[in-house]
Amino acid sequence: MRLRRTLAFSKRALLQFRHDRRTLAFVLVMPLLMILIFGYTFGGEVKGVTVEVVNNDQGLQPGSLPGVPFPQGIVIANNISKNLDIETLKVHGSGNSSEARQLVDDGRAWAAIIFPENFSQNFLWSLMHPESPIRASVEVYLDGSNPTIAGAVMAAVSQAIQETMSDLAGALNVSQVRLPLTVSPVYAYGGGDTRFIDYFAPGVISFAIMMVTTMITIILFVNERRTGTLQRLLASPATEAEIVVGYSLAFGVIGLLQSVVVLVAAMLLFNISIVGSIVFALLVVMLIGFGHQGLGILLSAGAKNELQAIQFIPLILFPSILLAGLFWPIESIPSYLQPLSYVIPLRYGIDAQRSIMLRGWGLGEVWVDIVVLIAFAVLTLTGSVLLLKRKG
Amino acid sequence: MLERRVQCPRCNNIQSATGNPGDVVVAVCPVCGFRGKVTFPPSGKGTTPVIQLHRITKNFGDFTAVDDLSLVINKGEIYGLLGPNGSGKTTTIKMLCGLLTPTSGQATILGRQIPCKTLMQRIGYMPQETALYNDNTVHENLAFFAGIYGMTREQFRSQEERMLRFVDLERWRDTLVTTLSGGMRHRVSLACSLLHDPQVVFLDEPTVGIDPELRATFWGFFHSLSDKGCTVVITTHYMDEADRCGRVGLLRSGRLIAEGSPHDLKLQTGTTSLEDAFLRLGGRKMA
Repeated sequence: MRLRRTLAFSKRALLQFRHDRRTLAFVLVMPLLMILIFGYTFGGEVKGVTVEVVNNDQGLQPGSLPGVPFPQGIVIANNISKNLDIETLKVHGSGNSSEARQLVDDGRAWAAIIFPENFSQNFLWSLMHPESPIRASVEVYLDGSNPTIAGAVMAAVSQAIQETMSDLAGALNVSQVRLPLTVSPVYAYGGGDTRFIDYFAPGVISFAIMMVTTMITIILFVNERRTGTLQRLLASPATEAEIVVGYSLAFGVIGLLQSVVVLVAAMLLFNISIVGSIVFALLVVMLIGFGHQGLGILLSAGAKNELQAIQFIPLILFPSILLAGLFWPIESIPSYLQPLSYVIPLRYGIDAQRSIMLRGWGLGEVWVDIVVLIAFAVLTLTGSVLLLKRKG
Repeated sequence: MLERRVQCPRCNNIQSATGNPGDVVVAVCPVCGFRGKVTFPPSGKGTTPVIQLHRITKNFGDFTAVDDLSLVINKGEIYGLLGPNGSGKTTTIKMLCGLLTPTSGQATILGRQIPCKTLMQRIGYMPQETALYNDNTVHENLAFFAGIYGMTREQFRSQEERMLRFVDLERWRDTLVTTLSGGMRHRVSLACSLLHDPQVVFLDEPTVGIDPELRATFWGFFHSLSDKGCTVVITTHYMDEADRCGRVGLLRSGRLIAEGSPHDLKLQTGTTSLEDAFLRLGGRKMA
């Protein structure tokens, strides 16, 4: 294998990208768009959910609770309503509970929060007499069709109740208010503020290099065959290995460029935190690129033109999106499908990238992923050389 | 010393000129005083075998594309492989370029058994398709093939200039191939095949789909290659082109049915055109 010949391939491919601005834009903008769309849409925070608040609370009845350090007629429901997180929830007041339920039924509101007449009475009573079976109740009439939003509404309501309770507890001079449930999460990595975007960014980098390398390689080689340039190459002193390695190097460079763009965008726009070695992460990106380059050459043998090549997209896209742990952890897919993920090379790429970027792991910890990626690259690239040796 | 009879392009006076093999001498017409260059063939031209095929057969499954083909092509010859579509011309060229392996038989080029990767350094191949990288410029295409053939920067610089002048595309050096006309692309394709100064060139239907003027230009290129001692093998199904080859081999169903100079073939069959000769020799109609 001669270096000069090998580099001739890399140089030509890179120059082609320079002229073909649209493809270059696709290479750089596609992952950027993915991270923007997913970052903002499922950025981890639900905002502006419309809820109806029906406040039927009559307030504290005069003389009903002697010794209470609150003015008679205090309406606790108002305090709770004020404590609702107005970033998450877009609160509308509603006069009538059946009207509010109707709005939820019609899909015009996600939830109706309904305080009954005796809410303040029961709330304060149970606060002062913890042993009493009487409890205040609030009805949250909820559209459960979107679990993320439903969860956000419930969290906002219980947070508002807790805040109100602790405010009142101070005024009551009760030293300790026992809450029905305490959640104290323990985080091994990333702390409590790890958002979806932090989890998603390493995955999207791996995914983008996989998609771009595979697709462009298929199209590149389909064109090499269709236009006859491959015939010219095979009738030249260049060896099959030089062709494969030369193009791999070009895609390695493209992959690096792409990853840097995505990383910078993720850091600037979403403030993602990378604790591990970026250089190591970029080396893994190149490794993913090499393997998928080989895959692309192998697949290109099965396509006669660009149209047929495009039909490979869903074939590579869906398993990678659904099974490789791009959006959700592999543990959350049905257990009978989990073994399938082991044969998807991207799984190891994403896993390695997350471990490196989020956990700060090094080669000592992610070596299994790296070994699998190297094996995948060696296998597909050797296969490509053999395929080309069989005369294109 | 060689002696050549030359005709003055101005007054058609015929005289003789003498020179050493490979020389280019200036001859002056004694009648009109026109000064013209006379090229003498390099030594070994037309007599040294460069390509030797011995009983080559190529099967694709049950189909026999080339059937027991034997031929010898000499240095500096322009050899035309002639035959209708599907007669085995392209298959023969592809075997000679190492793109296909013969099912049986032996072939040597420049004394080397094919297929052989290092031999390809001295061979030029122009496929039937234009076979260029459309999203690169003319210069980038040439530079790429120069890299493939291991040319140094200096070699490439002088060769690029020479080739671009040769195919008259100097102005289009930095133009993307995709924006060039069909004829221009053909010329770039030819330049890419000849850039590394090959000793043997295989041209697979180089003149299909190009206009008569460009075709004449191309034949000018081929003759100047031959004059330098480069062996040119061409496939074609244009009879008028076959007339311009030094020798032609007529292929039918993968078999060589006749071989010789166009003049000899016409004499042999008592016909006035090569097309009639071909039909007389048992070929089918070409077009």
